[in-house]
Amino acid sequence: MIKGAFVRQWKKMAMIAFTVALGASLATAMLSVMMDVGDKVNQELKAYGANIKVVPKETSIIGELYDVSDGESVGSYLKESELGNIKTIFWAFNIVDYTPFVSTVAILDGNEVTVTGTWFNHHMELPTGETLDAGINSLRSWWSLTDGAFIDEQDDAERDVALVGETAAEKYGIKTGDKIHLDGDAASGDFTVKGIFNSGDEEEDKIFVYLDSAQDLAGLEGKVDSIEVSALTTPDNELAEKAARDPSSLSINQYETWYCTAYVSSICYQIQEVITDSVASAVRQVADSEGSILEKTQLLMILITILSLIGASLGICNLVTASVMERSGEIGLMKAVGANNQAIIALVLTEIVITAIVGGIVGFFAGCGFAQIIGNTVFGDSIEIRALVAPIVAVLVVIVTLAGSIPAIRLLLSLKPTEVLHGR
Amino acid sequence: MTRQKMYFRMISASLVRRRSRMVVALLAVMIGAAILSGLLTIYIDVPRQMGAQFRSYGANMILTPVLDSLSKDDISECTSMIPESDVVGVAPYRYDTVRINERPVMAAGTDMEGAKKTSPFWAVDGSWPGKEGEIMVGKKIAELYRFKLGDELTAVYTSEAEGNDEELVDNEMTFVITGFLDTGGNEEEYVFMSVSDLSSLTGIDEVYDVCELSVSANEEKLNGYADAINEAGTAAKARLVKRVTQSETAVLGKLQALVLLVTVIVLALTMICVATTMTAVVTERRKEIGLRKALGASDNSIITEFMGEGVLLGAIGGIAGAILGFLFAQAVSVSVFNSSISFRFLLLPLTMIVSVLVTAVSGLLPIKSATAVDPALVLKGE
Amino acid sequence: MSLLELKDVSKIYGNLHALDKVNVQVNKGEWLAIMGPSGSGKSTMMNIIGCLDKPTSGEVWLDGVDISKENNKSLTKLRRDKIGLIFQQFHLVSYLTAVENVMMSQYYHSMPDEKEAMEALDRVGLADRARHLPSQLSGGEQQRVCVARALINYPEIILADEPTGNLDEANEEIVVELFRRLHADGTTLVVVTHDPEVAEVAQRTIVLRNGHVDHEHVNENFTGHIKYNEEAV
Repeated sequence: MIKGAFVRQWKKMAMIAFTVALGASLATAMLSVMMDVGDKVNQELKAYGANIKVVPKETSIIGELYDVSDGESVGSYLKESELGNIKTIFWAFNIVDYTPFVSTVAILDGNEVTVTGTWFNHHMELPTGETLDAGINSLRSWWSLTDGAFIDEQDDAERDVALVGETAAEKYGIKTGDKIHLDGDAASGDFTVKGIFNSGDEEEDKIFVYLDSAQDLAGLEGKVDSIEVSALTTPDNELAEKAARDPSSLSINQYETWYCTAYVSSICYQIQEVITDSVASAVRQVADSEGSILEKTQLLMILITILSLIGASLGICNLVTASVMERSGEIGLMKAVGANNQAIIALVLTEIVITAIVGGIVGFFAGCGFAQIIGNTVFGDSIEIRALVAPIVAVLVVIVTLAGSIPAIRLLLSLKPTEVLHGR
Repeated sequence: MTRQKMYFRMISASLVRRRSRMVVALLAVMIGAAILSGLLTIYIDVPRQMGAQFRSYGANMILTPVLDSLSKDDISECTSMIPESDVVGVAPYRYDTVRINERPVMAAGTDMEGAKKTSPFWAVDGSWPGKEGEIMVGKKIAELYRFKLGDELTAVYTSEAEGNDEELVDNEMTFVITGFLDTGGNEEEYVFMSVSDLSSLTGIDEVYDVCELSVSANEEKLNGYADAINEAGTAAKARLVKRVTQSETAVLGKLQALVLLVTVIVLALTMICVATTMTAVVTERRKEIGLRKALGASDNSIITEFMGEGVLLGAIGGIAGAILGFLFAQAVSVSVFNSSISFRFLLLPLTMIVSVLVTAVSGLLPIKSATAVDPALVLKGE
Repeated sequence: MSLLELKDVSKIYGNLHALDKVNVQVNKGEWLAIMGPSGSGKSTMMNIIGCLDKPTSGEVWLDGVDISKENNKSLTKLRRDKIGLIFQQFHLVSYLTAVENVMMSQYYHSMPDEKEAMEALDRVGLADRARHLPSQLSGGEQQRVCVARALINYPEIILADEPTGNLDEANEEIVVELFRRLHADGTTLVVVTHDPEVAEVAQRTIVLRNGHVDHEHVNENFTGHIKYNEEAV
C-alpha cells in the first residue's frame, strides 16, 4: 500500500523530499560553517601579526632604556640555536609563524641607523616532517612596498641585501638597487637595496637585513634579542587569567587543563620552557582583540544558524502539513472503507518519514557542498565537516518532519468521510 | 456591484474562509520574509557592529606635530574634521624622560579617559590614575623597582642644557602608584600620569608630542579624514596606523563576505522552500480551477484571480515577516554586540516585493498547468 | 430550427469509440433526457454539448455555430454565454457563500449583480440561505444553488449531468420541480441521468448504448408544469 502511494504520488513525494533536502542542506552547511568559523577567522586575524613576544629574561628593560638614552645595546640575548624548539612545544601545531630579531646601530654615510636582522621567509624542515616558511614577509602582512621587491630567502642568490623603510630611504636618499655601506660595531659590509617598504609605524626608520648579516655587524653571532610569535589561541577565560598571573597557584587538575588548552598564557609558558632565560608575554593589543572578535563572530554565526534552522524547520513542517491536507480525499475514502485512525497515521507517517530520510541524505551531501563553496569563496580554504553534523541533521530532519505532520494528522482525523467524499 | 468589487470579494473570501490552508501559506511566506529581512539587516549592520569590535585593536590614526609640538587646540581642530559619531577615542601623549631613583624612565603624560578608549587592551592591575599626584607604572618598571600598589615614588626632572648660561631646572614631585600596566608592549617600561602633573613637574606648558585617535571607519574613509586634516594646513600631520587599518579592512571584508554568502545561500534555499509550499497549496485547488473554467472563465481571468490572492498573501506575509525579521536582527544585535539597530524602512518594501514575487511565481506554474488541463477531466476528479 | 444539432459526431479515445456517429437534434424550449448505462457515452456527449470537449469528427451546431471548429478560447466564450452547467458533485466553491457562488458566474459572464443573484436564489427557494457557505447547506440546497448559478446568465441551454445522483428522494423531487418550472419559462434543458424517474418527466428521452443512439422516445405522459398547462388551456 505504501509502495503504491509512492508510485502514484511520486510528484508530491518528490516535492517533499526536495524541500527536506533543501532544509537538510541548509542545516548541514550552516552547522559546518558555524563550527569551523572560529578556526577560519582566527587564521584571518593573523593579519594583525604576532600575538606573543619573547625577550630575554632580566635586564631587557635596561637594554631598551639605554637604547633610548645612548643607543648602545647591552644586556642578555636569546640563543639562535634554540629557535627551532618553538615548533616542538605541546601546542607546536598552533604556532603559525615566528621570526627572530636582532637590532644594532650602524653608521651609514656618517649617520646612525638601526639595522635589524631577521627572517624574511625562512624555510624550516621540522622534525615532524612538515615544512614552515616563517618570517616577516608573512608576519608583517600590512607592509606594502613603495618600490622594488620583498626579500625572498629561497630565490635570492646573494645574501647581502636589505629592505629599507620609507622614512629612512627618504632621509638618506636611498633607492632600490643602490649599494649601501653599513659600518657596524664589529664589522662592516655592503648591501644591495632590494626594496623600500611602507609600514605606517616606526619600523619605517629601520633597515632590515638577513639575521646573520646583522649579527656579523654587531658581533652577536648566534644571538637574537627578541622573537615574535604568531599563534592560534583560544580566548582567555578566568582560569587562563589566573594562570597568567602565576601558574604555580593552580591545582594539578587546573594546571593540566590550562597547559593542554591553547590559551595565549599557556603557549607563552611553554615557549619559556624551551627557550633558555626567556620571557614570553602576550601582545595584548593583538591577543585580547582576537579573543573578543572571535567570540562575537562565533556568536553571530550561531544565531544566524539558529535562524536558518528555524526557517528550514518551519518550511519543512509547513510543506508536510500542506501536502497531507491535500490528501484529505484519499484519507476520507480510507476512513469510509473502515480504516481506523492508527492505520491511517501509520500509513501517512511511514510515507513521509521514508521520503524525509531520502531527502535528508541527499540534502546532507548537498549541504557539505554548500559549506565548501562558502569556505573556498570566503576563506580560500575548505571547511572541515565535523562528524557531529550528520547526527544533528538527522535528528532535526526526523523531528521536524514528524512535528510537521502533527497538525495535518489532527486535521485528517477530524475529517468525516462523508463530507470529504461529497467534496465539501 | 462592479467587477473589481466582486474580484476583491472572492479573493478576500478565499483568504479569510480557507483559514487553515491560508495560515499554512501565510506562514511559509512569513518565514521567508523574516529570514530575508533579518539576514539583510544583519548583513547591512555587520560592518558597523563588527567595526566597533575591531576598535579593540586600538588607535588607527596618529597625529604628529608638523613643527615641535601640538597644543590642545590643534588637536581639537583636527578631531573636529572627523564626524563626532565616528570618533571612539582621542588620547594625546607627551613624553619626557624623568629620573626615578636616579635611573632614567620615560614618563608619559596623557588624558587617562582618552587612553582607556584608544587602548582598550591595556590591562591595569589596580586602578587608573584619577586625581592629581597619582601615577600608573608599567609592569616592567614595577618589577625592576619592586613597587607595590599604593607605594609612593619620587620623580625628578632635569631639563637638558641647551646653552651653557641657561639655568638647569631640577624639579621633583611625589606620586602615589594606583596601578600597574600590562600591555605586552613597550608601554610596560613607561610611567603614566596626567598631562597637568607632567607639565607641573617639567615646568613646560601643556603641549603634546603625539595624539592617538581611534576612529570607527573603514580604510577608505580614514584616508579621507587624514587627507582632509593634512590638506587643511593644521599644525598636525595625520597618519594611519597601517597595521590596524589594513588588517581590519582585510578581516572585516572576509567577515562581510561570509555573512553575504551565508545570506545568499540561506535566502535561496528558503525561497525555494516557500515556493514548494505555495505550489502545494495551489495544486490542491485544481478542481476549483476546473470549475471556474467550466463556468466560462478565461485562463487569463483565473490567473488574475489566483495571482491576486498570491499578491495579497505575499504582501501580508511580507510585512509580518519583515517586522519579525527585524525583531530577530535586533535580538541578535543586542545579544552579540550589546547595541541596537535602527529599523531600515527600505527593507520593508523590498521584503514585500520579494515575497510577492516569490509567491506569485511559485503559484503561477501550478495554476498554468491547472488551466491547461481539460476542465471536464478535473471536474470528474481525475 | 433546432437550437442544438449533432451531425455524425464521433469521439474516439485510442481504440475506444465513446461516441460513434451520433445524430441528435434539440429544439429551442425542448426538455431532453439522455439515458444509458455506464460507459454508454453519456458523459462524453454531455462534455461535447457543454463545450467542455470537442468531437473527433462530425459537426456540433449550437445556436448557429459549429463548435467542433472553434478553438478553446471561443469554446470558453460559448460556455459562458450559452450554457448553464449543473453537476452531480455540485462543484460549489467551498469558501464562497451561496449568493457569491451565483455571482461568480455573473462575474465571468458580464457584471456581478447581487440583487439579481438573490432573485435567482429566491426562484430556487433559497433566499434565506443565501449567506451560507456550501458546507452549511444540505445536498439538495447545494444543488439548488447550482441551478440558480446555471440559470443566472439566461443561457440558451441548461445542461445537467446526473443532477439528482447525490440527492435523496425529497430533494430529487424539488430539483425536478425546478426543472419543470424552467421548462415552463421556455428554457431548453438537457438532462443526463440514469434514473428513469428523472428521465420520464422530460419531453423526450434518448437512450445511448455503446456510443450509439440505441433508441429514442417521446414521453407521452409529459405534463410539463401545472402553470404551463393552465396557460395552454
